[in-house]
Order: sequence, then C-alpha cells, then structure tokens
Amino acid sequence: MDRRKFIAYLGRTAVVLTFLGQGFAYFRSLIPNTLYEPPKKFKLGYPKDYPEGITFVAKYRIFLVREGKSFWVISAICQHLGCTVNIVPPKTEVVKIKGEEFRQKWEFFCPCHGSAYYGDGTFYGGPAPKSLPWYKLDIGPDGQLVVDTNTEVDHKFRLVVEDLGG
Amino acid sequence: MEKIKQIWRSLIWSYDPKDKIEATKATSKNFWLHWFPARTTYKSMSITYSFWLGTVLFSLFIILTITGVILMFLYIPSTERAYWTIKDLENSVSFGWFLRNAHRWAAHLMVTAVFLHMARVFFTGAYKNGGNPEANRPLNWIVGVILLILTLALSYTGYLLPWDQLALWAIVIGANIAKSVPPENIVGESLYFFLAGGTQIDQNTLIRFYVLHCIFLPILLLVLSSYHMWRIRKDGGLAVSEQYKIEAKKQNKRLIQDEYTTFTIPFLFRRVFMIFLVTTAIVLFFSVFAKAPLEEPADPSWTPNPAKAPWYFLWIQELITITTVKIGDFTINGGFLGGALIPALLFLLWAVWPYLDKSPDEATGVWFHKSRIVHNIIFAIILIILIAVTIFAMYFRGPYWQVYWPWRWPEIPHMF
Repeated sequence: MDRRKFIAYLGRTAVVLTFLGQGFAYFRSLIPNTLYEPPKKFKLGYPKDYPEGITFVAKYRIFLVREGKSFWVISAICQHLGCTVNIVPPKTEVVKIKGEEFRQKWEFFCPCHGSAYYGDGTFYGGPAPKSLPWYKLDIGPDGQLVVDTNTEVDHKFRLVVEDLGG
Repeated sequence: MEKIKQIWRSLIWSYDPKDKIEATKATSKNFWLHWFPARTTYKSMSITYSFWLGTVLFSLFIILTITGVILMFLYIPSTERAYWTIKDLENSVSFGWFLRNAHRWAAHLMVTAVFLHMARVFFTGAYKNGGNPEANRPLNWIVGVILLILTLALSYTGYLLPWDQLALWAIVIGANIAKSVPPENIVGESLYFFLAGGTQIDQNTLIRFYVLHCIFLPILLLVLSSYHMWRIRKDGGLAVSEQYKIEAKKQNKRLIQDEYTTFTIPFLFRRVFMIFLVTTAIVLFFSVFAKAPLEEPADPSWTPNPAKAPWYFLWIQELITITTVKIGDFTINGGFLGGALIPALLFLLWAVWPYLDKSPDEATGVWFHKSRIVHNIIFAIILIILIAVTIFAMYFRGPYWQVYWPWRWPEIPHMF
C-alpha cells in the first residue's frame, strides 16, 4: 500500500467510525441505566389480615393463599403474554398434577388468549408455555409478610407462621 | 391588485399555458406540481382500474397529519394525564371530539385502503414490468409491503396513546410478543427492555411509543411513500400504461402520444383533487356520526374479559392463541410463532411474490388476467382465510377467549 492510498483509507475509516460512534451513542442512550420502578421485594402486611383461601393483591399482581398457618404466593401474570389471570370456579375438583392427586377450590383463566391453570398454577390448557411461578415468601422482623418476586420457589413451598402478627 | 396577482402567480402558479409545450411545462415548472408527469395516459385515470386507492391513501395521510399535529397540542404523554387529556377532548375542548374522531376514522380507513390498494395491485398484476426495461415495479411492490407494515405500526402505536384498558393490554401483549423471541433470556428480554424502556410497561414505554407515533414512523412513512410515488414515474406510470405499448406492438402500429395521453394539468390534477375531496367527505361523515370509543383508564391489575385487539390485528391474536407448540419439555410460545414468525413469513412471501410470478407481459395491469389465474386464486385463498379468521375472532370468541355462538354472548363484541 502506498502513502496516498493509506491516507485515503484512513480518511474513509475515520468518516465511517464517526457516524457509527454517533449511532451507537444515540442507540445506547435509549437503554435506561436507572429505573424508577417499584421494588421487586415488598411487604404485604400482617398474615392475620388475610382470610382463609385465596386473595388477589391487585397492586402487585399476585395471589396470596392461606391455609390455616401456611402461606404461599402465586404470580397473577399469565406466562403466555403477560395479561392478569382471573380466579374462576374449578372445572373438576380433583385433578392429577405430575401423577399426584390435587384437590382444588379454584382455577386460573386468562382473558386474553384463554390459557388455563390449575389451582396451584400448573398450566393445562390454552397457549401458555409454562406454569404460573411461585414467589419466595418470608416474614420480616416487624412480623409482616415479605414477597421477593426475584426468587421463584417450587410448588411445595409453604411459609408456616406461628405468630400471625398484629 | 394586478401587483398582488403577479406576486401570487410568482409564488404558486409560475406558468400560464398558451400552447401544448407551455402546458407541458406548467407541470414541471411548478414546485408543488412537479412530481406529476407532464402527460398522463387515459387508461391510468380509469376509476375501475385503480379505484384511485393510492390517491385516497395520500389524502388520508394529509388528513391524519393535520389532525394529528393539532392533537399533539392537546395531548400529554404521561401515564397519569394521558387518559384525562383524551377525556378533555370528549368533554371540554371545543370540537375535540371531532378532531379525535376524524383522526381515528382516517386511520381505520387508511388500514382498509392499504389492504385494498395491495389487493388491487395484486389482482391486476400491476407489480409486473410488462417488458419495459426501465421499469422496476417489483421493487415498488416491496416498498408497498413496507408501507403496509408502517401503516399497521402507526395504528398500533396510535391506539396505545389514550392509555385506556385497550391501550394498556395491547402494549402488554405487544411487548411480551417481543419478549417471546427465542432465545428468550437473551434476545427476547433485551427486546422487551428496549421497547418498554424497563422491566414493566410504564411511563418510559408511553413516551417511546408517543415519539414513534408522532415523529419516527410518520417521517419514515413520508420518505418511503415519496419514494413510492417517485418510482411510479420512473417505472413509466401505472402498470396499465404498458398495455398501450403491448397492443401497439401486437398490431405493429406506432404510438401517437396525443392518442393515448392527455395533459396532467388539468385532467389528472383535477381528478386527484376530487378524490381528495371525496376522501375528506367520507372521513367527515364518519367523524360526525360515529364516536371513537374510550375504555376505562389503564389498570394493570385486571384485564378486560375478553381483551380483543382492533379488527386488523384479530387474525394475529387468533394465531397467537393456537400456535403454542409443546413437544415433551420443549415449548415454543405462540406469542413468537403466531405473533411474530408466521406474520413475518407471510409478509416476506407477499413481498417476494412478484419474483415468483412468471406470467407473460400481457398480464401487466389487467384485472384477473387468465395467465395469472393460479396466482390470483392462491392470493384470494390467503385473503379469505385471513378474513374468516378475523370474523371468527371477532364474533365467535367470548370471555376467556372461548368459542361462543355470537348470540349466546352476553356482551356486544368490540369491533374496533
């Protein structure tokens, strides 16, 4: 490569890099670094405030289930395309989930594309690709329930609370 | 007075034709009209050939731009205030209802007209060059397919802005379709994050779609549609004009310009203006008599049951429902398959169709030419399937997207 060609090549490269660099800056600025979203870990109040059975916590789009002193949390966000599922009366009371019998008092149905989930969130119909996740539930030092939607737990998870608070 | 006339003329009508040559120059020397050809073929002005759908679309774009810019003064893209600025349009702003209705009806008509325009071009074989070595109509057809997608994108970003229940759930589903692009944890989630501007649908999302709707997409549409119209001229006018050359060649005659063309001004210009007036009249008629709906304010905690997309997206909603594939533990989300991949492949097939069409030159610019019968039948079948799926989703899908007979359904379905 002679000197003139080299300088011409350098010039062209500089022009291309100038515009690519700007393009990258414009694009990168649109990917936020700071989010002002509500935290993924939040308090749900005292266990005694929740009645037996299932409660829909609208603010956080989750279901809190209580059975005596046991508590667990199921997501209310359909795993298909993110609509909020509804609690409906069960089609059949006893269903088989992974070979085990499961007695259910409710099911979940999605209004958008008709995905159907059993009472524990296991999908069985419609287009949903997977089951409703369960989230880690804990009791905070102040006796309030704390949900961590960053951590998924399996369907055997139970939070047993001796002191119901208040 | 004479002075004012002179100034006016120098500004807008720079030429006053006194003979043929001057009449030709009247088009090319006028800034506003120079994108017209100087002469126009008689066949390309036939109503039953083109139904003037391209002109209708251009007229609708003008109406949408004018009403849209005024709406921009009256709308605030904030999740807290957007809904209430739309309510103000209905209840407080003078003629606010009219502005909103006109914008919305023009948008719905534009989606309809784009579909009809493409169907017309297909059935007339107008994407063919017809032996004209200078034409590149297949390219213009591809531009047309992109314009169709842009029109749909504009409609989609548009109906999100009122931030009512329809808007929120449309955007939730749209963003989650992006999230379902495999591999989901790399591509899907980055796409979602970029589209939504975060991990959930919120203020960042609204402002993104607002800018897309008001600036990015309209400018892209304007640039591409200008190219679309410029290409028509470079391709030698509407495809039907090729028929003159084909016929002359067959009969071994010479074409005499005066016999098959006439002056653009006033003959084409007058018709374009009339189509603009008719289009405006139709939009005004609908705007005065049919009110644009507004659902309840956006509420992420509950989804309307059923949550239906506008009519032109119902076929995708139906596809999304039925295309989740499960083979053992391996699952493909219907959101990706039916919501992105199948529509993308359909559009791709549609875009490359002219290159698969090997019919003879005579089939250029003729309705239902017999040599293209197979093409037309395949296209008609696809159209009929799409329309049938749309009607099914519109009238036979009830609460929880279950199949219902329309008369068994307690609520009147949302048509738009």
